[in-house]
Amino acid sequence: MRNNRAMRSLLAAAVAVLLLAGCGIPRDPESTLDRVSGGTLRVGVTESDPWTRLDGEQPAGVEVELVRRFAGELGATVQWVQGSEADLIAALEVRELDLVVGGLTADTPWQAKAAITRSFATTRVVVAVPAGAPLPADIAGVRVAVEAGTDAAGVLEDKTDAVAVRVQDVTKVRNSAVAVDDWLLDRLALRDTGVHLSKSKHVMATPLGENAFLARLERFLIARQGEVPALLDAEDGS
Amino acid sequence: VSDEHHELPPDKHRLLVKAVKLEWFSIVYLISAVVLLYFALGSSQAMKAAWVEDILGLTPPIAFLIASRVRRRAPNRKFPYGYHRVTSVAYLCASVALLALGAFILYDSVSKLLKFEHPPIDLVKPIGDEPVWLGWLMLGALAYSTVPQVLLGRLKQPLAKGLHDKVLFADAEMNRADWMTGAAAMAGVVGIGLGLWWADSVAASIISLDIVRDGAGNLKVAVDDLMDKEPTVVDHSRADPLPRRVEHELRALDWVKDAEVRLREQGHVFIGEAFVVPTGDDDLVARIDRANQHLLDLDWRLHELVITPVPEIVRPDPGGQDGA
Repeated sequence: MRNNRAMRSLLAAAVAVLLLAGCGIPRDPESTLDRVSGGTLRVGVTESDPWTRLDGEQPAGVEVELVRRFAGELGATVQWVQGSEADLIAALEVRELDLVVGGLTADTPWQAKAAITRSFATTRVVVAVPAGAPLPADIAGVRVAVEAGTDAAGVLEDKTDAVAVRVQDVTKVRNSAVAVDDWLLDRLALRDTGVHLSKSKHVMATPLGENAFLARLERFLIARQGEVPALLDAEDGS
Repeated sequence: VSDEHHELPPDKHRLLVKAVKLEWFSIVYLISAVVLLYFALGSSQAMKAAWVEDILGLTPPIAFLIASRVRRRAPNRKFPYGYHRVTSVAYLCASVALLALGAFILYDSVSKLLKFEHPPIDLVKPIGDEPVWLGWLMLGALAYSTVPQVLLGRLKQPLAKGLHDKVLFADAEMNRADWMTGAAAMAGVVGIGLGLWWADSVAASIISLDIVRDGAGNLKVAVDDLMDKEPTVVDHSRADPLPRRVEHELRALDWVKDAEVRLREQGHVFIGEAFVVPTGDDDLVARIDRANQHLLDLDWRLHELVITPVPEIVRPDPGGQDGA
């Protein structure tokens, strides 16, 4: 049959292409990985403590440190560009930047404009009590300190029966139930009540379709995601 | 599949039982392929097109199975002509769905191509700790959704011809043509792998064009059927010879001066009227009855024929408006 022959020759062609290409797949349409390796990694950064901090002379934070280590692996020097998320993503979209970091999460609305990496860390905002205090059976009616102007405050207000007490800095609250990031529990001597207000899967953004670069970064993130808790602990949490 | 209103002779009935089994198998297999493709979709347009085509591929088997149950029901007061036409209705629905979704994907793919969108495909960790590029899994999923369909199409086609079933025939054709979808989608994914960002959208456009073509072709056939167009053979390549044969048989009778027959296709059987100009009134009722028995035995597909004696026959314009 005609179809049969066509199918067979197509399959043969596909196999030949794959064999020729070998491990070079995936490749970048715009050669980002090749250009960055041994060259300059242009990274857009926007402030999102503790992932990125821009208060010092040089950017700092967990994601900044990860980016530095990634650049180290590629033998690249990092060129930091500060800006709003919208500005940075717009620059990423036209490949004026190679990477954008700044507390991005997997549910980012930028999916259509940037290639989002796998998540390298998951954090939760949990309701916790001081380590010595008894765990409440139910948080209904319990006064819970929560940082003003955060989504956790809204969730606490709308989705639980706890009494939300909005404060400027939850880490300064003593002897009260508080809503905090789970990675702060040990440092603040708190115990998780099991009530979780929100969950964030942390990601980075790369240019759309630069799949070799994306895959290289993801390999790095998969290999190094175990180092994230230590990097978080090294942050001063303020 | 037993008693009720028999419209099939025993040998055709065996074909039907076989076809029903094949269609059930198709449904189970297609659902598994749809689920597998869903998990490997990623951001590839071509994958999305292949996925939608597989979802739509479910409609002909479902239409066939529903029709094969419903159309055997005996006529009743509410549906005096019986349920044969349920096949045509199912067919119309499936072809409209095919056309609409094909057009949507075509628009989506072409606009992505025009916007120079570069599809990202990243790593996944399917089993264990070793990350794999999702593109490789896409190729595997596409192979699973393609090769068995082509084989299924080959098994269904002779059954469709034997049963004179156009839904089954359309299904077999769609299955047989699936190698093209599979190959195009694979080329798109491999293209992304090779850094050819446009390959994916181009492949998706080709697939969706094929879906649109399928949909438009099937829609035309379904509308023709519902308009009672002249019956055709199962692959629509030419007019079915049965109406002319019935006419010849009638004219050959010694008491018939002239005869004209028009038949409608209802599902896979024919129903219609014969107008005869008798030589005289002698024994006319019994003659008509005998002729009817004889004609219904000519071909299993001739299901119902009303023979009406008329003084003369006024023939319609042979070509008709579209002349096809």
